[in-house]
Amino acid sequence: MDFYLGLAQIVGVHTLLGLSAYCVLLTGQVSLAQAGFFAIGAYVAAMLTVLAGWHIVPAIAAASFVAGATACAVSFPALRVKGLMLVVATLAFGEAVRLFFFNFDYQVAKGEVKIGPAGGEGFRQIRFFPENGWSTLDVLIFIWLFVALVMAGLWWMDRSRAGAVLRAVGEDEVAAQSAGINVTAVKVAAMTVGGFIAGLGGGIFAHYTAHIEHAQFGVALATFAIAYPILGGLSSVFGTLIAVVFVQGFLIEGLRFLGDWRNLLFGGLILLAMNVRPRGLIDAATIAAVKRMRTSNKEPGNARTQGAE
Amino acid sequence: MLELKGLSKHFGGVRAVDGLDLRVPRGEVFGLIGPNGSGKSTVVNLVCGLFPVTAGEVLLRDEDITGLASHVRVARGVTRTFQNIRLFGQLSVWQNLWVAQNSTEHRSEGFLRRWLGGPGRAREEIDRILEFSDLSGKRDELAGNLAFGEQRRLELARAVVAKPALLLLDEPAAGMNAEEIDQLDARIRKLKQDGLTTLLIEHHMELVMAVTDRIAVLNFGQKIAEGTPDEVQTNPLVQQAYLGVAEAA
Repeated sequence: MDFYLGLAQIVGVHTLLGLSAYCVLLTGQVSLAQAGFFAIGAYVAAMLTVLAGWHIVPAIAAASFVAGATACAVSFPALRVKGLMLVVATLAFGEAVRLFFFNFDYQVAKGEVKIGPAGGEGFRQIRFFPENGWSTLDVLIFIWLFVALVMAGLWWMDRSRAGAVLRAVGEDEVAAQSAGINVTAVKVAAMTVGGFIAGLGGGIFAHYTAHIEHAQFGVALATFAIAYPILGGLSSVFGTLIAVVFVQGFLIEGLRFLGDWRNLLFGGLILLAMNVRPRGLIDAATIAAVKRMRTSNKEPGNARTQGAE
Repeated sequence: MLELKGLSKHFGGVRAVDGLDLRVPRGEVFGLIGPNGSGKSTVVNLVCGLFPVTAGEVLLRDEDITGLASHVRVARGVTRTFQNIRLFGQLSVWQNLWVAQNSTEHRSEGFLRRWLGGPGRAREEIDRILEFSDLSGKRDELAGNLAFGEQRRLELARAVVAKPALLLLDEPAAGMNAEEIDQLDARIRKLKQDGLTTLLIEHHMELVMAVTDRIAVLNFGQKIAEGTPDEVQTNPLVQQAYLGVAEAA
């Protein structure tokens, strides 16, 4: 049972990470900086609860704001470049963040032990949950509350004008500009919101793993972050969720019995999924089909009520 | 309405537009014609702000807009269509118009209301323009799935929905059949009745001659003639530019 709870926690945190990349991808930008924002969120939130003794909620809120502000500041120079150059620029930023935490040593003596981030050894003993007696299930509910909030927010944004504007910028910047959209402002806003969500995910991650270190926030994590929305499709936030379940639940955990062969199959299955569904697991056609199903379900219902009258 | 003073754009050694002076009076349909590569599209790109100018000024209602960004010019009332259609293919017809409501008037409607769906008036406006463009039946269709003629109409609708004062049409009739060109002609006239000023770039001479009040002719980035359609048609310089100079013996 604990295994599944743990898996559900991982899925929740990675969904936040994937959604942070989803925001940015909507505007057509491929960012490998999301792991960096995730790391900033993780370290800031952990330092606030461990060193400053904050409650976790204000701590992860503050961590999100710091990550969002960093993303905003980074996006101005970064968005001057496009396509592959942006990938390289954001990758460089992510690595810079990782190396910063590799060298970041800020330990405080608390009684006989020293606590706080210790450079390459990482940041141990982030014990807010056990100290306050939260069970695994409590933590799980806590995580999914935030996942649900973020997903609802983004789902609603997708349907508002803001979502259409983000997509317009993602499709054709020249046309968007000529339609009167301030392309730079839109891209910076998307990066900022993305950074905020990544920071939130990072803050939660730090507390349920209880131990963070620089190596967790490398290129692999950045790649996962953009792989989720790409695999899930950019038509809906649910695509990202399904992609995380598919990757974390099926590919990583479900295929564990294959041993070393898993990694090979892992890449192969993602390739296969992208070939079978080039616009993502959930694409516009899937959504249209779901809508049709809903309307056809309603019709017989209407017929019955009419018959009753 | 629009005034260009000594407008120049050089791409390396190529003088795409070279010291162009032009006045487009308010409420007129002004044609800009010339052989391929004469710099017509570059003029549109300079007026709407896609490229920075090399030299010269662009004035809108006597205000200098030369240094303004594209989206700011839209808010001031300059919108355009593209020669090679550039719609948002993955957005619906309705959404294509929704995202383009960016005039100063729209912007003043309150940030939140606008972003969260906008007031009913903005929606009515889109419905009206859909009707004007004969696209009412296609409002939820993805723009990328429309037929070519419908895409052309949506491009025009997207330029009109921002309530422009000056409309830049870059070869709006390219690839259209005779019937579609007639409809386009009627739409341009209707917009003129509503007080819109139009700068029309077009290769289809019948349309240009029928719908414009005045025409300027470009060749190698310079204006070689200007006048009413009749004057331009009979101008020997224009005939030379189009047909080539008879290298007389």
